[in-house]
Amino acid sequence: MKTKQILSLVTLVALFVGCATVAPNELINARSAYQVASEGPAGQLAPAELHKAHEALVLAEQSFLKEPNSSKTKDLAYVAQRKSEQAVALGAIAADKASKDKAEAGFREKQAEIVKQTKQDLSDSEKRIAEAQAELDKQAAVKESKDKADADFQKQQAEIAQAKQALSDSEKRTAEAQAELDKQAAVKASKEKADADFQKQQAEIKASKEKADADFQKQQAEIVQGKQDLSDSEKRTADALAALAAIAAVKEEERGLVVTLSGSVLFRSAKSTLLSSAQVKLDQVAKALLAVRARNLIVEGHTDSQGSESYNQGLSQRRADAVRDYLVQKGYPADRIQTRGKGEGSPIADNASPEGRANNRRVEIVIERELQKPNQ
Amino acid sequence: MRHISKIGILVAVVATAIASGCASTPLRTEASTSGIRAAEEAGAAQVPQASLHLQLAKEELELAKGLAAKGEKENAASMLLRAETDAELAVTLSRGDAEKSEAQAAMERVRQLRQDNP
Repeated sequence: MKTKQILSLVTLVALFVGCATVAPNELINARSAYQVASEGPAGQLAPAELHKAHEALVLAEQSFLKEPNSSKTKDLAYVAQRKSEQAVALGAIAADKASKDKAEAGFREKQAEIVKQTKQDLSDSEKRIAEAQAELDKQAAVKESKDKADADFQKQQAEIAQAKQALSDSEKRTAEAQAELDKQAAVKASKEKADADFQKQQAEIKASKEKADADFQKQQAEIVQGKQDLSDSEKRTADALAALAAIAAVKEEERGLVVTLSGSVLFRSAKSTLLSSAQVKLDQVAKALLAVRARNLIVEGHTDSQGSESYNQGLSQRRADAVRDYLVQKGYPADRIQTRGKGEGSPIADNASPEGRANNRRVEIVIERELQKPNQ
Repeated sequence: MRHISKIGILVAVVATAIASGCASTPLRTEASTSGIRAAEEAGAAQVPQASLHLQLAKEELELAKGLAAKGEKENAASMLLRAETDAELAVTLSRGDAEKSEAQAAMERVRQLRQDNP
């Protein structure tokens, strides 16, 4: 601003001093050129040149003061103008250079930004691609695992079906086996039962056979014995009969075997006491009778017709009893001997003759047939 | 010893020349001619303002030579100064034009880049 002041001062002085002198065009141009230059950006962008321009103008002004119209003044003014223009031009250059630099910087910046953005986009792209790929991979994995799960499921289902089938078969086989076992068990049971029954039967058969054999043997023995007994009995009977026949009259009648003993042999006349000789005979009879199986005897006493019927009845009864008593005494079972007093009711001979009467006076021992039970 | 004397001679000659402001010394046109050459090489002919000042520089150089030939050494020297400054301005204007073009191109490039890549 000092420069401006000086300039203004110089101009003013110049005006006053050379008031009649008009500055040459070159100087006027130089001044205005300097004004333009100093008002513009040259002050900041080309200060050195502007300063040079100012110095040149000062020289021109000084020359103008000294030699207002000289060529030197004009030349100096001309040069001062050019120097101002130079400063302006240099300022413009500097401004343009700054613009250029700024534009280039902006360009580079934008480029870098673009590169960065592109890289970012690329990176994002790659990232998206990677994500998409990961997603695809994931889906593929999901699908794979799903497929695998499906396959596993199918396999499981098949296994389950198989297992069910196997189970069913197994159950069936088990049932069959069980049925078989049951059957066999039943068979076995029935077989065992049959065996047992058989055994039992066999045992029973054996037992009954043995029993039968035993019975048979026993029977045989009995038979033999019986035969023997019979034989013995018959023998004895025969012997007894023979003995009896030897002793007394023996006769086969319908009521049994009748052993007739004469009364005179047994008793004195009209007595019911046995003679001792009669005892001998009766011993023999008893012995003969006892030799065989005991049979029912009916001892009947008979008289002849002499005397009263009641007397004879009684006598005959007493005599029968006496005989009986003696037999019983000799051991004959009492319950097998009955007595009857027949009196004169059953003669066997004619009572008219003494022989007849003698025959009627008798005791008959009826040996009943064997089917009779002992008298009660 | 010897170069001191050589320098001494040189200084003496120059001092004498300056002191006398002699008419015998030739016109120092190197600055302006090289300036003009530089302007031409900078392509001032293609830049209107620059070509103007290039032309002016050439004319002034010739005028200066004419003045020198007429013996108006001071005027010739001043005219040479004109030529130098015009040539210098021509160079600067050429550079400025180029710089402006470059700046515009750079700005266009960045504008385009920004437009293409919002």
